[in-house]
Amino acid sequence: MIQFFRGFVPGIFVMLFCLVFSPLYLTAAEGQEYIAIRKEGAGNIALVLDKLDARGRKETRFAQSLDATMHDGLDFTKLFSLISPPLNVKDISDRKNVVINFPALTSVGAEVYAGGVVTMKSDMIILDMKVYEAAGSKLLLNKTYTGTEANLRSVGHAFCADLVELLTGKKSVFGSKIVFVSNKTGFKEIYQCDFDGYGVEQLTNSKSISMNPTLSPDGKNLAYIDFTSGRPTLYIKNLNGGRTAAVGKSAVSIDPGWRNNNELAATLSFDGNQEIYLVNSDGTLSRRVTNSKSIDISPTFSPDGSKMAFVSSRNGLPQIFIQDIASGQVKRLTFSGRYNTQPSWSPAGDKIVYTTWEKGGEINIFTINADGSGLLQLTQRCGENKSPSWSPNGDMIVFTSNRQGREKLYVMNSKGGDERVLLQVDGEQTQPSWSLFR
Amino acid sequence: MKKGGKMKTMKPLLRSLFIPTMLLLGACGCCEEVVAPPPPPPPAAPVVLPGLGDVFYDFDRSELRADAVDQLKTNANWITANTANSVTIEGHCDERGTSEYNLALGERRANSAKDYIVNLGVAPARLKTVSYGEEKPFALGHTEDAWAQNRRAHFVAE
Repeated sequence: MIQFFRGFVPGIFVMLFCLVFSPLYLTAAEGQEYIAIRKEGAGNIALVLDKLDARGRKETRFAQSLDATMHDGLDFTKLFSLISPPLNVKDISDRKNVVINFPALTSVGAEVYAGGVVTMKSDMIILDMKVYEAAGSKLLLNKTYTGTEANLRSVGHAFCADLVELLTGKKSVFGSKIVFVSNKTGFKEIYQCDFDGYGVEQLTNSKSISMNPTLSPDGKNLAYIDFTSGRPTLYIKNLNGGRTAAVGKSAVSIDPGWRNNNELAATLSFDGNQEIYLVNSDGTLSRRVTNSKSIDISPTFSPDGSKMAFVSSRNGLPQIFIQDIASGQVKRLTFSGRYNTQPSWSPAGDKIVYTTWEKGGEINIFTINADGSGLLQLTQRCGENKSPSWSPNGDMIVFTSNRQGREKLYVMNSKGGDERVLLQVDGEQTQPSWSLFR
Repeated sequence: MKKGGKMKTMKPLLRSLFIPTMLLLGACGCCEEVVAPPPPPPPAAPVVLPGLGDVFYDFDRSELRADAVDQLKTNANWITANTANSVTIEGHCDERGTSEYNLALGERRANSAKDYIVNLGVAPARLKTVSYGEEKPFALGHTEDAWAQNRRAHFVAE
């Protein structure tokens, strides 16, 4: 079947075809080839997201809600140029056989068309979506999504997720969460929200100081630091209603980072020195990783867990180093800037984002390749920009900035563009961490 | 020189006696005029007793400054005299830099103060250390003056 199509359509759409109908056969090489072609296409995907069809009052109301959810969701990714559908985009005179006007789509510059129908079966909302390549009028995706009114947003985002993965070959932000610290109650507590700032939910209520939240890759556990015991202690909270484990060793715990679903690392100082240890998700110690008399903090791991980037003051002021976990070998990563902290390793494994405290008082966000090349400044001339964290697919970064006065959460793309406020709530929001799951 | 040094250590002592005295006088002055419900009992906060004073640090440093040594000797004498109390040494930082690094730096400040006092003969078991990093600034404000006051080890008797 694939061979049949290969003779008729450009290679790019063969790739799309493979993605839709035979995802099991999609190899990494094919994915990369597709993404490379996409990048050459310079910029956003020109998409017509058509108004959903619906009959009946309830269906129409849900369709309108889904229209808005999908439009806002796709717009948030900044991967698309959303083009208004041309008036004559389809002929619905025969509802059983809707005819899409592909020449009209190509004339407005659309590359991809997405449209669908909302129906209901008892209390279930059924969204039938079809995606076409405009130039070749080929069907790229034909999928049904169902849900209740209560999870209508997830239904719309499930389609958005499929569309992004279909067209970019990468995981999307849809369904991912951001955990962060907010002081709006007067205490620093941990909260989470959806990738787009929607649905803020308070996760801790310790009325103490809670900080440095980070979700395990599978999203089941939340690691954070909390002062309830009178000293900064590492806690691992099972978010499915399970127990909260405290790392019982005395002294100070600082800034955890997950290595995989079962293991994380954090600085513990119970032996008198601040060293990074591997800790099991049940709170028991695995082993010590660093060995220096200086400050060693803020572990972040390569996707395969074999390497750890961290902050150390072993050469004086803080710089970022990379340690090979198996061999223990350490090399310095950052040489530009006198005070480099808050590293976060990208989900693709190629880059590390971190912050530099500059001489003039600004704190700016930079990315650097894991081999030390390709230094890139992402923020400038806008106050203190801190705590950068990658989106699950690595094409966005959440961070805090005090550019408007109080510290708030912002997002930007991985090159520093498309900067915007993520959420406007009372108080100051700090230390965001984006989940890897979705 | 020596006299000046003594004056310096006397000043905080005089201040710490003067302020409570004035507060007491102020409270007595108004209690006949204003009929107010008694304030709720304060939470069991640890009492800071005269004699224990803060020591201050240079930017991004946890090593003791020359001016910290006299205060630490005073603190050690107080701890030796008040055997019923244990003491927590809190390490603090100014708001600049990043909070994770400051949490680490604060612990090193508390430890350097503790180590000095232990070397003077105080039993380590009577001393606890904790770091608050930049989370509990003493002086609010964004000036060098405020920052200098916030880079400190704060002694609390319990």
